[in-house]
Amino acid sequence: MKKYLECVWISLIILTIFSYLLGYLNYINIYLVALLLLTTFIKGQLVIDYFMGLKEVRLKYRMFPSIWLLVTILLITFAYYLPI
Amino acid sequence: MLKNIALKEDHPPGDFAVWIIIYVELVTFGLLFLGYAFSRRSDIELFNASQEVLSQTSGFVNTIILITSSYFVVKAVNSMKNMTQKNHKESNIKASKWLLLALVCGVTFLVIKITEFSHIFEYGINLSTNTFFMFYILSTGFHFMHVLLGSVILFNIYKKTKSYAYTPDDYSGFETGASYWHMVDLLWIVLFPLIYIIR
Repeated sequence: MKKYLECVWISLIILTIFSYLLGYLNYINIYLVALLLLTTFIKGQLVIDYFMGLKEVRLKYRMFPSIWLLVTILLITFAYYLPI
Repeated sequence: MLKNIALKEDHPPGDFAVWIIIYVELVTFGLLFLGYAFSRRSDIELFNASQEVLSQTSGFVNTIILITSSYFVVKAVNSMKNMTQKNHKESNIKASKWLLLALVCGVTFLVIKITEFSHIFEYGINLSTNTFFMFYILSTGFHFMHVLLGSVILFNIYKKTKSYAYTPDDYSGFETGASYWHMVDLLWIVLFPLIYIIR
């Protein structure tokens, strides 16, 4: 019944390994930064929804951390892609 | 649709006060992350060179540890949620086992972080070395303090579960500590790629 928790945990681990390998193997380039930030957003949202349990709570309580995550990731992306 | 709305809880898990703290912490760390990302633009070469000093592997291992500890905490919370008056002792025992695992993860994270900090300080690096290390020490040091506090909270909850103090009507304190721990995990999930990986 609660197997979804194990799926969330495994997804988080896989996405973390993916991020680490990109960095470790020096594959990070300006194009992959966006992909890396997207995986970070997915991981954060999984924690908010399933670990913090905010998926089962009224939207107004879930909105703040989700919007925080989205805005933070978008602004970081902006900082990396904005021409200098 | 209507059915889904009706099933939603009125309040987030735990005391509402902890959620105010969580929201404030998220904003504070968010500003630190953005400060880092935008400061990097002024000297990308320096930031990339400074990043080479950090161990991506220890950052990676710490990420795995925090994610796993959060998973253990959710399992402990689920033990509480399934608690009835009849099985309240067994539920406390079950939760205490999950909490102990989470606590071990928390302490391991702290040990790895102390080792990492000691290497950094051995090189003579400090807050005034350069902008990268100022942000690195501030954000990871500040986060370290949160993991330390979270571990103390988990330990107190653990002690209460050992004395079967939580009942089906009163385990809000348990959920409060768990929510704080997940916040610590969420912050690290953003911090890890930002400081250790992205170049």
